[in-house]
Amino acid sequence: MDNYQVNRIKEASYGHSIIPPCQAACPLHMEIGEYVDLVAQGKVMEALQVIRDGNPFPSICAYVCTHPCEDACRRSQVDEPIAIRALKRFAVEFGGDRMIELEAVTTQSEKVAVVGSGPAGLACAYYLRKLGYPVTIFEAYSEPGGMLRVGIPQYRLPREVVDTEVQRLTHMGVEIKTNTRVVSLDLLFDMAYKAVFITVGAHQGLRMGIEGEDSPGVIDGATFLREVNLGLKPSLGDRVGVVGGGNVAIDAARAAVRLGAHKVSIIYRRSREEMPASPSEIEQALEEGIETMFLVTPIRVKRENGHLNVTCVKMELGEPDADGRRRPIPIKGSEFNTEFDTLITAIGQAPQLSEDFRLRIGRGSTIQVDPVTLTTNRAGVFAGGDAVTGPATVTQALASGRQAAFRIDDYLQHRYPLADTGEKKSSLGELSPKTIEMIKKIERLEPPFLPPEARVNEFTTVELIYDWQSAVNEARRCLRCGMGAEILFQDKCATCLTCLRVCPYHVPYIDDAGSIQIPAEQCQACGICVAECPAKAIVLRKPYDRRHIDEELEHALKSAAESKSKPLIIGFCCQYGLFGTGALASLWREGKAGIWIVPILCVAKLEEVHILRAFEMGAEGVFIAGCGEQCSRENTAFWVLQRVEKVRKVLAQIGLEPQRLQTFNLRIAEADAAEALDNFTEQIGGLYLNSIIKQEVRT
Amino acid sequence: MIVAEQKPVEEIRQVIAPYERVLLLGCGTCVTVCGAGGEHEVSFLHSALQVAQARSGDGIHSFLEYTVKRQCDFEFLDLLTDKVKEVDAILSLGCGIGVQVVAERFSDIPVLPGVNTSFMGMAKEWGVWDERCAACGDCRLADTAGICPITRCTKGILNGPCAGTKNGKCEANKDMDCAWILIYKRLERLQQLEKMRRYYPPRNFRVIPRPRRIVKKADVKVGKDNG
Amino acid sequence: MANSLFEEKLSSNEFLVTTEIGPPKGADVSEMIHHIDLLKDKVDAINVTDHQSSVMRFPSLGGCLLVKECGGEPILQVTCRDRNRLAIQADLLLAYSRGIRNVLCLTGDSIDVGDHKEAKPVFDLDSVQLLKMVRQMESGKDMGGNELKGAPHFCLGSSVHPEADFIEPQLIKFEKKVAAGAQFFQTQGIFDLASLRRFMQYASQFPVKILAGIIVLASARMARYMNDSVPGIIVTQAIIDELANVEKGKGLQKGIEIAARLIKTIREENLCHGVHIMAVGNEKIVPDILEAAQLVSVHQ
Repeated sequence: MDNYQVNRIKEASYGHSIIPPCQAACPLHMEIGEYVDLVAQGKVMEALQVIRDGNPFPSICAYVCTHPCEDACRRSQVDEPIAIRALKRFAVEFGGDRMIELEAVTTQSEKVAVVGSGPAGLACAYYLRKLGYPVTIFEAYSEPGGMLRVGIPQYRLPREVVDTEVQRLTHMGVEIKTNTRVVSLDLLFDMAYKAVFITVGAHQGLRMGIEGEDSPGVIDGATFLREVNLGLKPSLGDRVGVVGGGNVAIDAARAAVRLGAHKVSIIYRRSREEMPASPSEIEQALEEGIETMFLVTPIRVKRENGHLNVTCVKMELGEPDADGRRRPIPIKGSEFNTEFDTLITAIGQAPQLSEDFRLRIGRGSTIQVDPVTLTTNRAGVFAGGDAVTGPATVTQALASGRQAAFRIDDYLQHRYPLADTGEKKSSLGELSPKTIEMIKKIERLEPPFLPPEARVNEFTTVELIYDWQSAVNEARRCLRCGMGAEILFQDKCATCLTCLRVCPYHVPYIDDAGSIQIPAEQCQACGICVAECPAKAIVLRKPYDRRHIDEELEHALKSAAESKSKPLIIGFCCQYGLFGTGALASLWREGKAGIWIVPILCVAKLEEVHILRAFEMGAEGVFIAGCGEQCSRENTAFWVLQRVEKVRKVLAQIGLEPQRLQTFNLRIAEADAAEALDNFTEQIGGLYLNSIIKQEVRT
Repeated sequence: MIVAEQKPVEEIRQVIAPYERVLLLGCGTCVTVCGAGGEHEVSFLHSALQVAQARSGDGIHSFLEYTVKRQCDFEFLDLLTDKVKEVDAILSLGCGIGVQVVAERFSDIPVLPGVNTSFMGMAKEWGVWDERCAACGDCRLADTAGICPITRCTKGILNGPCAGTKNGKCEANKDMDCAWILIYKRLERLQQLEKMRRYYPPRNFRVIPRPRRIVKKADVKVGKDNG
Repeated sequence: MANSLFEEKLSSNEFLVTTEIGPPKGADVSEMIHHIDLLKDKVDAINVTDHQSSVMRFPSLGGCLLVKECGGEPILQVTCRDRNRLAIQADLLLAYSRGIRNVLCLTGDSIDVGDHKEAKPVFDLDSVQLLKMVRQMESGKDMGGNELKGAPHFCLGSSVHPEADFIEPQLIKFEKKVAAGAQFFQTQGIFDLASLRRFMQYASQFPVKILAGIIVLASARMARYMNDSVPGIIVTQAIIDELANVEKGKGLQKGIEIAARLIKTIREENLCHGVHIMAVGNEKIVPDILEAAQLVSVHQ
């Protein structure tokens, strides 16, 4: 196996780009900017490849990631963050993730045991397998997946998705033993495993510690969800109360609705603002008719006549406590009674570990580890996931599993264990107000959801997928943080101030020393200064962006030369516009005789030399098509037309008719783009014919 | 800064016609700043010449591109020595000074101008350059509120506006401000209108006998300390 | 002692009338001679323009010699556009030697408004410097400070622009011309007597004579064209309207009427010291204007 995967993680390959905040916030440090950009170009397969490079199970994250990247997204300073997770899901679905098959070859002799098949365990197995180790996963339950299977309800994460990933692992050669509870680590070492990764999760519901908590009809959230997720249909009765404000409480409440409970109430001791559950989940729960009782906590449960009589007390919020949330204080004499058929308690979970493991246990019954190496107090025993952190997110668990795999590799290869290269921090600060002002506001597009009526009756997936156009349009909202322009050749810079004058976002400035600076923090990567710099001193930080047009153009010219259809027309087309998602997308994909499309990420990046190159290589006509009103920048048309005029002047001097170069769809969408293009083609045909006749007359 | 304009491609094609291998030589200073002969314009011209050659079918040229930091100093041109051996002519996109310095440095090869050197001036905004100094060698800006009537008045007159000014603009070009109206307004603001009332005698053109030379170094004889 | 008949009249408090003749583009001067004959006795002096509007023509100096030959009183127009100080001094010596005594010193229109746009604009001097130079020649020395064998003596005039839309700098220049030795001024075409009145209130403090420039308009179109394209000219909207409201073919007649009316008012109200009539290619109608303004008999 090649070390590509590992290298990619260990050594980010950004060229000169600066780590954007989204990537820094991602526990897996995925190259989010990169794949969002690829989606914007309609290159879903490539986007999926980037996603897979940074994430062992993208299909899972595509459903359930809590997307800290979106919280960090600087677009929220302009309007709303990019819908990164939904875009990932789009790439995963449209890029054909399901079809991807992975192989792995055993190159190492040391066997590794992974205890627990949750996301951390699966990720660890995945990377160890890629590194060539024989890996066995031990799972106590009947099905692998851990919380992915027994914690997260199906309507959020379909079981097939977990199945697919597990099958892929099996196909890679990972052995998975279900219904196998590991009781002793010594035994594993006896079985010749050289290293063990403990990732048993945090499945034990915390107790409220109130009178009547053990009455029939009272169940903890983790157990309830496990039963539901393993296919049991617990009978709940009509009225269900759910105690807690986290994601488990919401999941439990929504599962209860789907099991037929008529009245489901969430009982939370603080107010909605303090709820740790993700806001969109809360929103969806409310849509599904779930009621809420805020600033209330149960203090006594009594089972009477087959019902639960729950005594609650009202709360008020006092001073903020250690974690910054305001502490709830019971209001004296505010007790009241309410009736439920079932009470689900979801106030937290902790790991449950066999004492025979002889592992040092810390706060909240979690395993104590060295945060850099994930080693426990026992040699060769590593631990990660919820068992170490307490309940956390799937993505954090995946990151933990990946880290464990590399540290176990270090251990087995007797390498000094180093921390993951680079604390991934983004050096990008806030956007400046004058930059924000110039950025066009574009509304965030959410993927469609099943209507509440349709979803309350079953466990089908609630969130649907973007259509192609919506995904592209959402992805292009990305500000491309850290991928912008830089003055790469300071010695060439004549400090002519062209960049400062042409920047639509007022980004370049003159520093105290009189040099020009283009702060990466503010640059929107429109590429206008790159194309206009008279010294050619500026480049885009992303190497791909630098070469993109040249490569696409040469490719088109080569294909055109092979096809020999005449007259040759080259169309430089905004990938976001007509030819990407718009009216002529099909035309592009099918190809029309003689017309060759060079897709461009915003036509403002197109330089005069590209247009001239097309003419040099025999193009009889060249057109430039923008993306009309949907252009996310204000002055693209101005710059395109400047360059068009410059080239037309030269064409005229050379004796080529200036109308051989046309623009379409620049500022405003063509009423009938196909017709406009047909007219142009016809015109070029005419000019071509004329030039042939002239030539024959001459000879 | 010196401001220049690239010559039309047709004119350039005519001057390079006799030479097969041509070095397109940019200059990284003034003509870069004014967008006439920097690296960007060198490659633009290169592409344009390639198109012209490809489309007319009568091209025999091969081109080399290079841009030096400054053409008006011999030392920067030393970098070209090897390249010059590979070409039959140099098309300099430097200003008129650059062309001549290159010609002086490489005496065995034709050096041709690729730009028209226009004036000394400033960028008014992106893509717009204005003349500001005529290098008259006899600066009077102290008397004219920092606005040069020699450069900015179409007649270069020294004692106030002619009668052709209308709406504050020049009779020669309605888009151009009348320099003397600008001077008046600025002197008024500075409360120095007496400077405009003063009589200024005709210019002394003797200060610019061509070619001009400025010698800044002192005439020091080695071996004779302190004279 | 006065240099010329015209200079004598300048100091006489008479209401002065001058006009100008545009020389032909070509060597045939017969029409110009006809115009000179027509006008020489009806006006106090005749200017011959110096490549007016930068259009190349028969020279002013040549025209002035013809005026002289015909028995008229010429005013030589000298601009700085086409000749440097050597050429101008030489021309002045020639003029003086042939009896030309009145010189109107002008900067000259820009090359760009004329018919030789690619020519080199000279402007070695401006109008103020030109006036000074003539005065220096009169002192017996040329501009280089060299002794002249026989110094010329002239009656010097220049132009002023009372209707300029930004008047202050024009006034400063006017004063500089006065200080440099101008004795009389022909103004740019006047269309609004209010501005002339304001100007004269100021100019009357200087010991110079002001002749109001009167341009004869032939149509509203011509008026608009002058506003757009002739340096310094500002025709009022009232006059344009007046011209626009006449029948076709009667424009020139209206123009004569307007010119005569302006002259009459200037004279009756004693606004300034005289008028300078510019008929712009219609020299033959100048007598009609004078008649309409009831000025014809004045000088007979």
